[in-house]
Amino acid sequence: MSVSVRHRQRKVDSLPPTVAAFILVPFLLEALVVFAPAVQGVFLAFTEWSGVGSPKPVGLQNFRELTDDPIFIIGFKNTVRWLVVFGGMSGLLGLSLALLLKVQRRGVAVYRSLIFLPVIFSLVVTALVWRVLYAPEGLFNNALEAVGLGSWGRIWLAEPKTVLYALVVASLWRSAGYIMVLYLAGLKSIDPALTEAARVDGANRLQTFQHITMPQLRGVNSVVLSVIVIDALRSFDIVFALTKGGPYNSSQLLSTYMFQTAFSTGRLGYASAIAMIIFLLAISFIVIYLVRALREEAR
Amino acid sequence: MNIEPTMNPEAEPETQSLIGRRSFVVGATAVGATALGLLAGSPAAVAATKKTTKKAPAKTSGTITLQSNNADDKSKSGMEALVAGFNAKKIGTVKLNTVAGELFRTQLTQYLTSSKPPEVLTWLAGKASQNYADQGLLLDLSDVWASPEMAGYSSALKGLSTASTGKQIFLPYYYYWCGVYYRPSKFAEWGVKPPKTWDEYKALCKTVQDKGVTPIGLGLSDTPWVASFWFDYLNLRVNGAKFHRDVLSGKKSFDSPEVKAVFAKWSEVLPYMDKQAKGLGFAEAQTKFYKGETATYVAGNWWALGAPKDVGDDIDFFQFPIIDPKVRVAEEAPADGFFASAKGKNTALTKAFMRYLATPEAQELYLTTSGNSSIPASPKAKAAVTVQNTKGKAMLEAADDLTQFFNRDGGDELQPTADAALLKFMDKPADINSILTEWQAAAVSARRV
Repeated sequence: MSVSVRHRQRKVDSLPPTVAAFILVPFLLEALVVFAPAVQGVFLAFTEWSGVGSPKPVGLQNFRELTDDPIFIIGFKNTVRWLVVFGGMSGLLGLSLALLLKVQRRGVAVYRSLIFLPVIFSLVVTALVWRVLYAPEGLFNNALEAVGLGSWGRIWLAEPKTVLYALVVASLWRSAGYIMVLYLAGLKSIDPALTEAARVDGANRLQTFQHITMPQLRGVNSVVLSVIVIDALRSFDIVFALTKGGPYNSSQLLSTYMFQTAFSTGRLGYASAIAMIIFLLAISFIVIYLVRALREEAR
Repeated sequence: MNIEPTMNPEAEPETQSLIGRRSFVVGATAVGATALGLLAGSPAAVAATKKTTKKAPAKTSGTITLQSNNADDKSKSGMEALVAGFNAKKIGTVKLNTVAGELFRTQLTQYLTSSKPPEVLTWLAGKASQNYADQGLLLDLSDVWASPEMAGYSSALKGLSTASTGKQIFLPYYYYWCGVYYRPSKFAEWGVKPPKTWDEYKALCKTVQDKGVTPIGLGLSDTPWVASFWFDYLNLRVNGAKFHRDVLSGKKSFDSPEVKAVFAKWSEVLPYMDKQAKGLGFAEAQTKFYKGETATYVAGNWWALGAPKDVGDDIDFFQFPIIDPKVRVAEEAPADGFFASAKGKNTALTKAFMRYLATPEAQELYLTTSGNSSIPASPKAKAAVTVQNTKGKAMLEAADDLTQFFNRDGGDELQPTADAALLKFMDKPADINSILTEWQAAAVSARRV
């Protein structure tokens, strides 16, 4: 036993200083600029603080106030809606595009690149493009006019009923390409022998998809799901750049409302409480999924 | 230039004028570069000349930083000239650090509370600065105010620069007027004249609308705060400046009958306002106005500065129409300037620089270089004279009372509540009662900060 202890010790001793530095420096940086502020955020959620002076502890008051803050409630509902519509559509669109473009044919690479292109744009640039499309005399309204559906035209980004979906469409433009690439990679890794075997056994396309492709994509699905949930909950840029949560808060998400509370209203404690809710939402989705995935694996 | 008599001396400093940060914010995205410079503040000066130097406290040397939010090209060149003018005097070095308006606004608290803050910063007079002074973050500038450079500054401006402790913590360097902008050539084409009264204005709107032009332009998609010009002015014309301050400070309620009366007046012109307003950005609305697609636009003096070359001087303003002749006339006159951080290391040089900024030469230098038509704070300074700023100044001097702007008088935290309420009213004027109830509730909760 003493031998093994010594052995282990030597191992630790012999950690080269360069390696130690490569571990320690990033860890310290991470602790300093990520963990510490995150912990501080949790603490702030239980205080009233304007950013100057010292935060005043108020217990659960911020959270109690959230429960009857009408804008928070709109933001919460919109965030859930966003998660479902944006998340669902990203997954569906991404998968359909991947299935459509997985074939090796001349020119397919061009389509793939075009669909992936929006991913490399900054979301603020994306927002500018969509602003022009959605403008009162922009492409959409003009196109509707041209086909005689002028009465369907509206001010897309300023109509409380349509604004959230208009924003989802703009975000999808980007996320569909990204999800498509994830699925393309997944589809590539499926052994062609499996599909071949299914075909020989007389399975039609739908059956092949259902019994061969989907089960093989399970690993990719879990990545896609986490990406979608995280993306949906942190959606901020496009909403902020296009509507800032307006008109009259009808497109407010938790993230944009948090920003407004922190930097326009100056209530950092209250904003931290909203941040906590976003965190809890994200973590609960991901934990539920992880538990399910682990259980399946165990089986 | 003396705007003193027009301001209400009785008003509490808090209500008297709060300049808010919002305009900036908004300014950044919205008003765009040009306006930003204006809204934000800038200084003045050059020539500060030897007189100042001699009088400055004996030992000034070293380097201080001037953090500026005048980020558009013109205003930035004005700031550069200003700083160069001071540095040429060889009594110390000022380094200019320009930060985009929106970023500046959100980080201002961090600048002031950091361990090594910039010594001098651009900001807004009134509540926006007084709030920081209350937290002990600003340098006492009383002795700068007592210096010969500042002799003759109006007491209204002094009031806007004074903290609750009674000490001056702010140095104003210009202020500007707001009004209803129009293009004279278009008015001639449509056969209308600038109105004086509300009825005349409505008649004008009708005439213009019949010619297929949108009478009232507005762009709210990225700058919803612009709608607050309408609320401010209608409230000033219907209920007067005192009530306006009271409702903004929370002494009166947004769902009171007086405020309802404001919206009743607004309803009379609502059909004349651009239906696309909520879908148009600041710049798009500006373009429509320049093209003559909209006839009038309520805004600050910065509205004229973004005009393309072919519009040139073909832009003018008239006073917001009088609604009730019994109500004392008030105008909006926001003031911008500088303050200094309490934690700054080089107080002697900071104050010498402040005194330089207060000179008429410095203010003229800035306004001329940056092409800004605002009115300098120094009573001895000549504005970069245009027909308009003579007219603007006269309008402010003739007013019985002055306010600043919604967020400057009511505090930044109130602006989002106004944006929501006003936009909703424009969409659903019939729901005004419930809108005002919601607004009042939102205002109460925002003020809890």
